[in-house]
Amino acid sequence: MTDAPDPITPDLITTEVVSRHVLAAAAEMGIVLMRTAFSPNIKERNDCSTAVFNARGDVVAQAEHIAIHLGSMIGAIENITARFEPAEIGLGDMFVANDPYNGGGSHLPDLNVVAPVFHDGRIVAYVANIAHHADVGGMVPGSEAAVCETIFQEGLRLPPVRLVRDGAVNRDVLDIILLNSRTPDERRGDLNAQIAANHVGVRSMQQLIERYGLDVFERALDAYLDFSARRMEAAVAALPEGVFKAEDFISSANENAEARLSCTLTIAGGRMSFDFTGTDPQLNEARNIPHQALLATVYTVAKALLDPDAPANGGAFRVIDITAPPGCIVQPTSPAPVGARSLSCGVLSDVVLAALSQALPDKGMARCGPHGLLLLSGVDPRNGKYFVNYETVSGGLGALPNRDGLDAVRTITSGSANLPVEALEHDFPVRVERYALRDGSGGEGRHRGGRGVLRDYRILGESMTVSLTGERQRVAARGVAGGGDGALGEFVINPGKPDEKTLGAAVKEAPLPKGSVLRVGTPGGAGWGKPSDRDPTLVDKDIREER
Amino acid sequence: MTDYWIGVDTGGTFTDLVLVDRDANHRVSFKLPTTPDDPALGILSGVRSLLDLAEADGVDVSFLGHGTTLGTNAILTGRTAPTGMITTQGFRDILELGRQRRPSFYDIEVAKPTPPATRDHIIEVAERLDECGGVVMPLDEDGVRDAARQLQADGVTAVAICFMHAYANPDHEVRAAAIVREVWPDAFVCASSDILREFREFERFATTTVNASLLPVMDEYLRRFEAGLAELGVSVPPLVMQSNGGAVSPATVRAAPVNTFFSGPAGGVIATVALGKSLAMENLVSFDMGGTSTDVCLVKDGAPAKRNVRDMAGFPVRIPTLDLHTIGAGGGSIAWADPGGLLKVGPHSAGATPGPALYGLGGEDATVTDANVVLGRLSGGALIGGTMTVYPEKSYEAVARLGEKIELDPIATAAGIIEIVNVNMMGAVRAVSIEKGEDPRHYALAAFGGAGPLHAAGVAAEMGMDTVVIPTRPGILSALGLLDADVRGDFSITRLVALTLENTAALRDGAVDLMARGAAWRVAERLNEDSVEISWTADLRYIGQAFELMAPILTLSGTPDFDEATLAALRAEFHRQHASINGYAMEGHAVEMVNLRLSVAAIRPSAGGVEILGDGADVEETIRPVWFPETGFVETPVRDRASLTPGQRIAGPMIVEQMDTTLVIPPAATAIVQPSGDLTLHLGGTQT
Repeated sequence: MTDAPDPITPDLITTEVVSRHVLAAAAEMGIVLMRTAFSPNIKERNDCSTAVFNARGDVVAQAEHIAIHLGSMIGAIENITARFEPAEIGLGDMFVANDPYNGGGSHLPDLNVVAPVFHDGRIVAYVANIAHHADVGGMVPGSEAAVCETIFQEGLRLPPVRLVRDGAVNRDVLDIILLNSRTPDERRGDLNAQIAANHVGVRSMQQLIERYGLDVFERALDAYLDFSARRMEAAVAALPEGVFKAEDFISSANENAEARLSCTLTIAGGRMSFDFTGTDPQLNEARNIPHQALLATVYTVAKALLDPDAPANGGAFRVIDITAPPGCIVQPTSPAPVGARSLSCGVLSDVVLAALSQALPDKGMARCGPHGLLLLSGVDPRNGKYFVNYETVSGGLGALPNRDGLDAVRTITSGSANLPVEALEHDFPVRVERYALRDGSGGEGRHRGGRGVLRDYRILGESMTVSLTGERQRVAARGVAGGGDGALGEFVINPGKPDEKTLGAAVKEAPLPKGSVLRVGTPGGAGWGKPSDRDPTLVDKDIREER
Repeated sequence: MTDYWIGVDTGGTFTDLVLVDRDANHRVSFKLPTTPDDPALGILSGVRSLLDLAEADGVDVSFLGHGTTLGTNAILTGRTAPTGMITTQGFRDILELGRQRRPSFYDIEVAKPTPPATRDHIIEVAERLDECGGVVMPLDEDGVRDAARQLQADGVTAVAICFMHAYANPDHEVRAAAIVREVWPDAFVCASSDILREFREFERFATTTVNASLLPVMDEYLRRFEAGLAELGVSVPPLVMQSNGGAVSPATVRAAPVNTFFSGPAGGVIATVALGKSLAMENLVSFDMGGTSTDVCLVKDGAPAKRNVRDMAGFPVRIPTLDLHTIGAGGGSIAWADPGGLLKVGPHSAGATPGPALYGLGGEDATVTDANVVLGRLSGGALIGGTMTVYPEKSYEAVARLGEKIELDPIATAAGIIEIVNVNMMGAVRAVSIEKGEDPRHYALAAFGGAGPLHAAGVAAEMGMDTVVIPTRPGILSALGLLDADVRGDFSITRLVALTLENTAALRDGAVDLMARGAAWRVAERLNEDSVEISWTADLRYIGQAFELMAPILTLSGTPDFDEATLAALRAEFHRQHASINGYAMEGHAVEMVNLRLSVAAIRPSAGGVEILGDGADVEETIRPVWFPETGFVETPVRDRASLTPGQRIAGPMIVEQMDTTLVIPPAATAIVQPSGDLTLHLGGTQT
């Protein structure tokens, strides 16, 4: 057995062919999901992800949408198999889950819908998709705000439960989800889209298995994960051994005590170990980063710095160990709130990146300005309907050692698009009076930090409210090698008017009178190198273009 | 009276020309290198040679259609005109803000693309409309005047006018354009509502600005081209293929050069439609595989698939185009081993120089062409009808070197390269078929371009497709398509309303508006009213969705009246499509219109024309070992295409060689030579 080659071990060519099919299936699921979704957050902003897993629950392929969703994908299957015996799961079942502590999720608005793929009566793979729903109940419209103090305030919690049983939608579960949302019609449409996406994925996997046979299919997936592992191993093996530390701070309810995120990276023996000991205890604010989001952040940064073209699958991350003491911000325990983890992950990725880039001379990125989150709600006077608009406005990225930081893009753990102003004004009663790069917000430097964004909303409806979450409103993105800090973010009502009022970084349902203006100003990225070393032609260009 | 039609396909490397003598039903073709610095020069020299070859006189040319890659190349090489933009106060950064996405998802090194108009050439003016087109703030006309003077002083030559919600009401843009022309008569100006009358500001502004940046470039090219043709005695206006598969006059292209991005590959698709028609096949996938890239398009029921958005150098350009899927892989693609030890092919290409190792011009990397040589699929003897010396031992060495890295012998490595490139091709076929809800097994693969016929059987087998069609002259099929092009204009208007009777008036107003634009265009193109066919389509979605499906609107009169019967038929069609493409329908859910579209086309007769390949009776069959996945190496007959006679049935395996390509017929397949000389290949045994 050890000498003779196994006759059905697929060669590397079959592996490439089968893995391409799997990647194409994940991409195709994503297309169906975005094409048929109803809420602007999914259809315009593409806040959703799709993936294919092997029978053991390893992620084999994730479509490129939202990196942070990778963590929830990793957790999804293990939570299902922990709760259900294989015999309990039937052909035509689909599960829905969102709970970070019991369902593998990373915050409640992300509903993960998982479908097993059967062959000859046994589960041989899974497909899944995550969509960020604009409201899943809880105390704040939009179900994601830093002000929540426990997860019970953040909305409906779902362990893995059957959304589809034996091919038919399970109305018992659907009705619970719909009743708990402030905008049930949208939820119904979005869930339909999620179910349709999984159908496409299941069908595609079944065709692939029919074509190659189950043995070749399963072994090809294993070989693909092994190849991915080897790629990352090769990249890690090239790093110098050593211990590298970095830290930064996120906002907390206590204005005088920002919350510390701390990372110690040890590279030794061909492995990378990230230890988050030293991180502050979990917060009574929804900025905690649940386990799945921590994994996704570390994996994403490692991939971006070491091998951006490596497949985003379970194999690629076998050389990475992650430890964090339970009860800290990056390993919270129930019932710590986690809704706004995406903003904290923006800072956490800076910390991980700062640690890792110490091992990579001439690589890396100065710290970044994460997005601002706003949840507008109220009644639209044009049709009398209650609405919730979940929107994020990007900040700017840190400068690189060789060029300026990117203006106005989401940080690396995320990827959702903006909401076009013309779509926004069709769907919600606001008028955007200014949507611009926030000049001066990028840190000065030989290479400047990316600029954040200014977006001014004129309120057109009666008795509307806004809940807001910001990051880097008190601690700036810090410059590198003499580069300047990025500007702080801000939320302001009626800027430039006598009644101008700056709101904090965590705001619950602030009233917005008709005619008032809400300004979202997002933080900028930090600069790299001394401003005096800046290329004079770039300085001229900055002046010419009023930057 | 003699009557000549000419088709010209300007490719990245070569320009192909074909002339049909309509009376003699005879055709001649000519090939010469493309002249990228001044494309008009090469084409004109080609037209001159073609006329000489046919002993024809320029005045007898009654039709000249051409595809051009000028617009695409100008964008890709940054040779566009300095461009300014006048926009709504508060919105000068829309092009830089984009959709707040990183240009590469994981790779932090990738920078954002530079917009066609940079910030120092973007000027805001006071004006604002709401989402229904109502005026919130009137247009500051003096502001527009000042902006125009400023841009002129800055040295830009083209101006894009981009106002918020202008798709809902173009009045402000129309007025602003008039003011710019008034103060600056020789400016090149376009307005977003003229170029793309659809919502989503970034996509509309980007499309309009890209268009503006091409206006002076296209104008200059057409001027030189028209003057050169006049010198040759050709007096007909040279029609230009658009991305939508229709040809238009120079005047129309001068206003909207953005519509020519797929002018080049579109010819091949149109030719595929004509090929299908002549063979009575309505469902085909066109497969145009060249040296560096491959273009694939679905033709269903005799009509090519369409789409409405394209990425150009990092910016979304929303224009009606054929749904061409292009991948960066072809015969020159380089095979390599990735750090994990997986074999990969492309996207890097050896190009024409150094080219594949086979050429002996210094290429060290194993390319797809080299793998084909190692496996005996391509001749180790001379290429291009014996005019080019080649070095098969260099192919073998290059493949063997790669094989050492991945621990495979040279034959297994070459076989792997072929299989992987075929899988890449399969991805393209999949994208235009399965991902659009079409089963490729119901389609035939139409293979052309230099490498298409080499790989078609393998790709078809991967997809479970049984039939492959190979035209008589795969190398010049795209040029032939230009002869068959219809004259076509597409018009659209956003109408965001539910498909219910209360909106009949709004829908009808939109249709009337489009009809007027179509009529004005028809006059500009000098088309008779009775020679044109018009068709209407609606972009529909469930209320609340953001992505639309296109449904045809059937109407007996010229303009649809949107009565209950029309609306009900549209709703039913939408539910059906949604179920077919997305797997479910929501019959109880309201359906809304997003865009109404009008297409006006003047249908032209087929050019016809037969090219004699030679009777070939004296060409001898040879035999060489050729590798097939199902058999390994097997002694295989090799014949010249010219030796095949209509009606002949050929059992695989066989290699058929002709000047512009090589055909691979696998062992289980049967080929039939059609009366037209086209070859239909039935793979057999692969249908599931």
